[in-house]
Amino acid sequence: MKTASGALGCGVLALAVGITTGCSGLRPYSSPDAPNLHIRTEATSGSVFSSVRADVGIYRVDPQCRIEYQGTVDLDKPTVAVGIPTDRPSYLVFGFSSSSFLGGTRGGISQETLLRPRPGYSYDIEATYKDDLYNVVIRELHRASGARRAIDLQPLSACGSVAERPAAK
Amino acid sequence: MDVRVTTVLAVSMLLLLAGCASQPQTPEEFRKAVPGAFMGKTETFEVERSFRDVAETFQRRAPECLNMRVKTTSSTSTSYQVIVARYTPTVVVNKDRAELHVQRKFESGVLKVSPEPEAGYYLLVADAYPLEKNRTRVEWFGPSRGHDVLVRAVRSWASGENLGCPDLTKI
Repeated sequence: MKTASGALGCGVLALAVGITTGCSGLRPYSSPDAPNLHIRTEATSGSVFSSVRADVGIYRVDPQCRIEYQGTVDLDKPTVAVGIPTDRPSYLVFGFSSSSFLGGTRGGISQETLLRPRPGYSYDIEATYKDDLYNVVIRELHRASGARRAIDLQPLSACGSVAERPAAK
Repeated sequence: MDVRVTTVLAVSMLLLLAGCASQPQTPEEFRKAVPGAFMGKTETFEVERSFRDVAETFQRRAPECLNMRVKTTSSTSTSYQVIVARYTPTVVVNKDRAELHVQRKFESGVLKVSPEPEAGYYLLVADAYPLEKNRTRVEWFGPSRGHDVLVRAVRSWASGENLGCPDLTKI
């Protein structure tokens, strides 16, 4: 099951400001590998009085399917390139958080997926938030041949099957 | 008034007045109750898409997008409230109709005034019917305000224009 949260009120807003300024535990993700994810982001609130920001949290998934937070990438540019390991699955949490300039409201929702990139492939990811509808679409691209295919998002509960899948040559 | 308080009240009023405080316990009861209910609304539209495609989209996107728990906190200088709502979608498809039911169960923060179905009150029911020439008619039943994003998702899924998930924090 997915979860989302919203927060209202000046007190909560103040807390949120505190969180975003460094108390949240979020840290920038530093790519240990060459970029294999190319994330295109379009996030619009549809109102001049509010804004939406997007980011992706990256988690390491160990053989026991436990996750360990590795860092967060702000999706504040139209395209962002990120490298994640190909020798194990990662868990990607795409977050969309909205805030209102006037009402002091904040809310957040996320879409998650397991992904084990294959060597020799890159992944085009579209992360969109528009008209209060959000979506994450992943396409796998074989670099040598240019062949593409869409990939379904996988919940963390699918970890066993993803982790056991042999990497393609 | 806070928009979420407004919408919670709207749904409560809808449900209460739909049947003199008896809550619809089935989608069919909900369909019958909404048209005559205060702040209830029903609307019909058609899309240039086959019934089969619309049904498949409901079947695929509803579990991915609407099976979730939403936590909302609100605070003022004198109060602090946490509401946890569990959303449950159900899709039923046969050759004549594809139904999407959305139920919401408040797990905390909201007083329950009458018995509710196991998965919570019905929030929205959308029915798709096949038409000629690969067209589909969709009729939805739900509250008249405060749930635009849910209706927008149903419209977008039916038309195929946007398969994104509705941001349920906006309800």
